[in-house]
Amino acid sequence: MKTTTMAFPYPVALDQSLTLETAVPAAYAAAPVGPKIIARQVRFFYGDHQALFENDLEIHRHKVTAIIGPSGCGKSTHIRIYNRIYELYGEQRAFGEILLDGENILDPAMDVMELRRRVGMIFQKPTPFPMSVFENVAFGLKLHYRLSKGEMADRVEEALSQAALWDEVKDILRQPGTALSGGQQQRLCIARALAVEPEVLLMDEPTSAIDPIATAKIEELINSLKSKYTIVIVTHNMQQAARVSDFTAFFYQGHIVEFGDTQKIFTNPANKKTEEYITGRFG
Amino acid sequence: MIFRGLSRGCAFLVPALIGGIFLALLIYSLPAIKKFGVGFLVSPEWNPVTQEFGAASSIFGTVVSTLIAMLLAVPLSLAIAFFLVELAPPKVSRVVSTLIELLAAIPSIIFGMWGLFVFAPFLQTQVQPWLASTLGFLPLFQGPPMGIGIMSAGIILAFMILPFICAIARDVFLLVPRTIRESAFGMGATTWEVMYKVMIPYGLVGLIGAVFLGLGRALGETMAITFVIGNSHRISASLFAAGNSIASTLANEFAEATEPMYVSSLIALGLVLFLITYLVQILAQFLLRRLYRSWSVGL
Amino acid sequence: MKPRPPIGRRLVNGVVSGLAAASALMGLLALAWIFWGVLSRGVGALNLDFFTSLPNPPGVSGGGVANAIVGTLAMTGLATLLAVPVGIMAGVFLSEFGQKSRLADQSRFAANVLMGMPSIIIGVFVYAILVLPRGKFSGYAGALSLGIIMLPVVARTAEDMLRLLPNTLREAGLALGAPTWKVTLTILFRAAKPGLLTGILLAVARVSGETAPLLFTALNSPYWESSLAGPTPNLTVTIFNFAMSPYPDWQQMAWGASLLITCGVLALNLAARFFLGEKHS
Repeated sequence: MKTTTMAFPYPVALDQSLTLETAVPAAYAAAPVGPKIIARQVRFFYGDHQALFENDLEIHRHKVTAIIGPSGCGKSTHIRIYNRIYELYGEQRAFGEILLDGENILDPAMDVMELRRRVGMIFQKPTPFPMSVFENVAFGLKLHYRLSKGEMADRVEEALSQAALWDEVKDILRQPGTALSGGQQQRLCIARALAVEPEVLLMDEPTSAIDPIATAKIEELINSLKSKYTIVIVTHNMQQAARVSDFTAFFYQGHIVEFGDTQKIFTNPANKKTEEYITGRFG
Repeated sequence: MIFRGLSRGCAFLVPALIGGIFLALLIYSLPAIKKFGVGFLVSPEWNPVTQEFGAASSIFGTVVSTLIAMLLAVPLSLAIAFFLVELAPPKVSRVVSTLIELLAAIPSIIFGMWGLFVFAPFLQTQVQPWLASTLGFLPLFQGPPMGIGIMSAGIILAFMILPFICAIARDVFLLVPRTIRESAFGMGATTWEVMYKVMIPYGLVGLIGAVFLGLGRALGETMAITFVIGNSHRISASLFAAGNSIASTLANEFAEATEPMYVSSLIALGLVLFLITYLVQILAQFLLRRLYRSWSVGL
Repeated sequence: MKPRPPIGRRLVNGVVSGLAAASALMGLLALAWIFWGVLSRGVGALNLDFFTSLPNPPGVSGGGVANAIVGTLAMTGLATLLAVPVGIMAGVFLSEFGQKSRLADQSRFAANVLMGMPSIIIGVFVYAILVLPRGKFSGYAGALSLGIIMLPVVARTAEDMLRLLPNTLREAGLALGAPTWKVTLTILFRAAKPGLLTGILLAVARVSGETAPLLFTALNSPYWESSLAGPTPNLTVTIFNFAMSPYPDWQQMAWGASLLITCGVLALNLAARFFLGEKHS
């Protein structure tokens, strides 16, 4: 079991996919105490441009944490570190520490593939893969597990049910995922992420591309999922943050200006900038 | 108004040319078509002395050399496109792309020279004896290793069409939306799994289009083949044997043909090649168009 | 449920990635091999005689391919004169007038098909319409086939380059009361100049190495020709004839000519890239 707690920042290897060594899978039975994720002194660079400055943040277990802030403030950048997806782009680099159940995910020895199984991600636009509804949900299962046909079908059904999509698609499982409506596609992507039994769900403005009714469904879904998962949602919609989250972090120009109880942030913010933002004076 | 009409006329000229080419080839090949009928396509006899002409050996050579080329070039160019898009650092990718594109710019006669004087001897001394001793039980690899022949023609063709397929495949991969790619990586897939399970299915129509474009080029490629294929009107099972292709027959014999039936038969051969490549082209264009349209990026 | 260990998946990924990198390396090696082959063999043939003399009969060393160089330049030049105006006008129609019309659609489609048409077919076509009726090979026929090959390349790049121009440019011109032709000729052409030049250079590069369409249109000639009315000497067919001959002197000449053509074509391609790069920066 690897529990690195190096205090100083260090660069992260750019491409791990070629190395054959594997880290020991994380302990699932890690005592469920304390925050799920602790970000310490996280800094981020696009080439020479620094986008995040000394971010400290705690993501609480089985809660929904909303990340708000004006566009370009670094809120998406921040969560893109949690599954190391930024590494796809060679010129992007992250420093600092991000502890997932005490394990530093920025450690080069961290198994990125396993990390991404544990930390799922939902994007702004629905991203159904060019395959059937069933295959979409089975995608991650096939990567990470060896399952019989029957087990596979069970897991797919379970994931679709969790994503509140099963009833709508149970008769069209063999049709392409792209044939669904926008809102359904987004829930399909959520089902796809849930199927591999992640611990954390990252949602990067998951409702910005879909209509209000579908949005309401997804917000409802988020609510029902938090008993089982830890959820981080980036949103530019403050009402949405107020509706779905337990905690809220306000980002401004790459700094975390304020973090706390959602209720408190929206009713009695401590910081002047936060107040200006949530009252709509800029953003 | 005049300007507009003029430009319209010029634009019309392009499809008119294709029609014109078809008509001219058809008219001039009529004597041969009348004399030989469908037998022209299946007869292996090509004898200017007896005035008996059949296209079978040329068609056979065209098909076999193209087949070898496609078997080698398609996986190679997809692999290179994969390397350029997913594996190479941006700077390396740019340089390698440019160099591979330069390979496409080299005129086919240069490939021919290189093939005849450099590559075929290499094949004859280094590769073919080894193939004959290890796989010689197959009829494909029997007979004296001569260097020149169907095999070297196919391999050189592969080098020639590789950059075309590779360039389009690379563009098709780059057109896959960023978020789709990130989603696949986000599921914990390896680079190869993302390519194989998501990017390739996503761009499949375009990739097939690219393959067809390469196919069209391979079928009609002339000079490189003429140099190395050996130019013999014989059909042999061995890849070591000399053969010919439609294009190489035209290149070798046209300027010397004087008998009207000989000329007409050659033009009929040209018509066959025209029809084959035209069909392949149409299919390629259709597939690529469908792909680009479905992603609403104008062609 | 426990996920399976990713060792196998990593291994497959590593192997495939290695193969892909090896493929890229192989492509580069092929390029280097070809280039080195041409360079090492051709450089010995290049001397003053090569550029100034006529070919010698076999067995007599020395001599050059001056007539073929001139012939190739003349035919390529004539082909450019034929194809560029027509091609650019067709491009203008596709981008400025026709756009989504049926004719434009067909023309675009046909241009793509024509670009992929084997060049030897163009040769056969020109042979049928020009050489056969006149009863003799000629440089004009050679130039015509090269021109037909250039046409779709010029037309499509012209269209693409004109399309890249912002609409405000057109509106600004039209708002001044200038007719479309004047706007196109004075404003759009000037703005799209680097792109158009790129297209022309690429088209010239494409045909200057062409051999197949010249084999039975221009044929070849060992002499100085004063006009393009008869068989016209040219570099590529000379390479073909000399390479296929059993004489080492001639084969050596063929290598020299190959080197010349390769350098010319690569230089044109790099120049085209340079113009386009300048436009984008």
